[in-house]
Amino acid sequence: MTVAAASARHRRRFRPADTFLTLWGLLGLAFLFFPIVVIVVFSFNSGRTLQSFDGVGMEAYVAALNNPAITNSITVSLITATGTAVVATLLGTSAGIALTRRPGWWAPGLLILLGLVMVTPEIVSAISLLPWFVTLGVDNGLVAFNIGQVRLIIANSLFASAVVTFIVRARMTGMNESLEEAAADLYAPPLRRFTDITLPLIRPAVISGALLAFTLSLDNTVVSSFVSVAGSTPWPVYIFASLKASLRPEIAAMSTLMLVLTLIVLGIAALILRRDPSGSGGGAAGLTSAMVGR
Amino acid sequence: MTALEARPAQRPSAADTQPSRRRLRLPGGLGALPISVWMLLFFILPFGLVVWYSFGYKPGIYVTHANDILSMDRYGEAASPAFFAIFVRTLKIAVTGTVLCLAIAFPMAYWMAVKLAPKWRGVVLALVLIPYWTNFLVRTIGWQISLTPQGFVSKTLQWANLTDGPLHVLYTSAAVQLGVVYNYLPLMILPLYVALERLDPKLLEASRDLGGTAWNTLWHITVPLSAPGVTAGLLLVFVPLMGDYITPTVLGGASGSMVGQMVAAQFQSAQNWALGAAMAVLLMLAIFGTSAVVGGVLKVTGRVTTAMTSLKLPSKEPS
Repeated sequence: MTVAAASARHRRRFRPADTFLTLWGLLGLAFLFFPIVVIVVFSFNSGRTLQSFDGVGMEAYVAALNNPAITNSITVSLITATGTAVVATLLGTSAGIALTRRPGWWAPGLLILLGLVMVTPEIVSAISLLPWFVTLGVDNGLVAFNIGQVRLIIANSLFASAVVTFIVRARMTGMNESLEEAAADLYAPPLRRFTDITLPLIRPAVISGALLAFTLSLDNTVVSSFVSVAGSTPWPVYIFASLKASLRPEIAAMSTLMLVLTLIVLGIAALILRRDPSGSGGGAAGLTSAMVGR
Repeated sequence: MTALEARPAQRPSAADTQPSRRRLRLPGGLGALPISVWMLLFFILPFGLVVWYSFGYKPGIYVTHANDILSMDRYGEAASPAFFAIFVRTLKIAVTGTVLCLAIAFPMAYWMAVKLAPKWRGVVLALVLIPYWTNFLVRTIGWQISLTPQGFVSKTLQWANLTDGPLHVLYTSAAVQLGVVYNYLPLMILPLYVALERLDPKLLEASRDLGGTAWNTLWHITVPLSAPGVTAGLLLVFVPLMGDYITPTVLGGASGSMVGQMVAAQFQSAQNWALGAAMAVLLMLAIFGTSAVVGGVLKVTGRVTTAMTSLKLPSKEPS
C-alpha cells in the first residue's frame, strides 16, 4: 500500500463533526421552511376555518379571488410597491452615485442617517409617521398627506431607498472612474455621460435595487398598518386586521399567491445580479452582502 | 513649505488646459440632496415630533396629546412597575432570542460556507433567503396554526406519547420566544455566512499543518476572523427583535406581550400619544444602550483575545 493511498483513505474516513454539521444544517433548513410549508398546505384546506384541516380542495383560492376586499388589498399593495420602487430607485441611485463620486463632509453623516433608518424598529417609524401625517394633512391642510396611497408610498420608501443607496454604492465602489473621464475628455456633456456610460455600468444594481424595493414594500406590515387609511388597505394589513376575527383559508391562499409573486420578482433580481460579470461577489452572495448592507 | 503651497496652486492650472475635466466637477453631493431632504422630512422630523410629544400629556378622553405644560411625568409613568415588567420581559426575550439565534446560526453558516461543496452553496443560500423574503406575518401565522392545542403538531406529539395532553404553548412567552428565534434566524445566518465565506481556507490548512487541533483552529482562527459577521448578526437580530410587534401579537397573548405592543396600544386604542411617545423614546434608548454595552464588551474581548493569541505564538518557537 502506497503512502498516497493510505492518506487518501485517511482523508475519506468517517468524520463525526462533519456529519453533525450537515445534519444541523439540514435540520436548520427544515426549521426555516416549516411554517411556510404549513401555510401552503393549509391553503388547500376546504374547511371553514384555517386552523382545522377538513379536506383538500381549491375552494380557498376561488373564494379569495372572488372576495373584493382581498383583490382590492392586493391592488393597493401592487400600486404601493410600484410607487415605492420608483421613489426609492430615484433617490437611492442618485445618492449612491454621489456618495462614491462626490463624497464631501456630508457623506459620513448621510451614511449614519441611512444606517439609522435601516436599524430603527418598524414600530418606532410607524408611530412617528402617524402623528406626522396627521400634523401635515389635517392640522396644516396639506391634503395630499391624507391620501392613503401617498402615505403608504412615503412610509415604505424610507427603508427601501436606504437599501437601494447601499446596493448602488457597493456597485459604484467597484467601478473604475476612467471610463467616465474618457467620455468627459471626448467632450460628452454630463447628461450624455450619465446615460451612455454610468447608467449602463450600474444598471444591474439599479434594477435589482428596484426589485428589492418592490418586494420590501409588498411585504411591509407594521408601518403600513399604522399609516394606511380606510379604503387603501395593503394585503398584509388586511391579514393583520382579520387576525382579531377567526382566520379563514382564503388568507393562506392569498399568502401563497403573494409568496409566489415575491419569489418570481426575487428570482429575476438574482438572475440579473448573476448575469452581471463584473459584479462584486456576484449572484446570491452579492445580493446577500448588499442586503446585509455591507 | 513653498513646495507644499505650490502643489495645490498647480492643480487648477492643469485643469484649465483640460476644460472637460473641470466640467466633471458638479456641485459636490447634489445627488445626495433629494434623499437627505426626504429623510429629514419623513424620518428625522417625525421622530423629533415624537420626542416633543413625550414631554406633553393627555388632556382629556377625546384629545390625543397636549404640549402646553412640559414635564418628564410620562417617562415616570412609562417606568412604572407594570410597564417596567414588560420592558424587562422584552429585554429577556430579546437577549435569549439573540443568543439562541447565534448558537443555531453559527454551525449552520459554517456548514454552508466551509463544509458545503461550492456548487451547492448558492442553492442553500437561496433556501435561506426564501423564508427571509416570505412575509413576516404569514410565517408567524404558520406557527400559530401549528401550535394550536387542536393542531397537527399537538396531535402528533400525543400520538407519539411525547405529551400527556394537548399542547399548551400558544399564547405564552415560550411561543413568542420560539417565534422570534425563527423569525430572525436568517438575519443571523446571512452576515455569518458572508464573513465565513471570506475566510481564506489556506489559514485553516496552515493551522492544521502547524499541528493545531480542530478545536484550536476553530477557536483561534475561525471565530476571531468571523467576529465582524457575529457583531453584524447580533445587531441585525437584537435591534428589530426589541421592537417586534407582530410576533407577540400573533403568538403571545396576555402573558407574552412586549414593548412594541404597549407603544402601539397607546397610539391605537388608548389614544395617549404622550405616553406612547415616552415609551418609544425609552425603547430606543434601551436598544442603543444595550447595543453600545455589548459592542464595548465585544471590542474589549476581541482585544484581550488578540493580546493572548499574539503572546502565545512566540512561545512555540523554542521547541
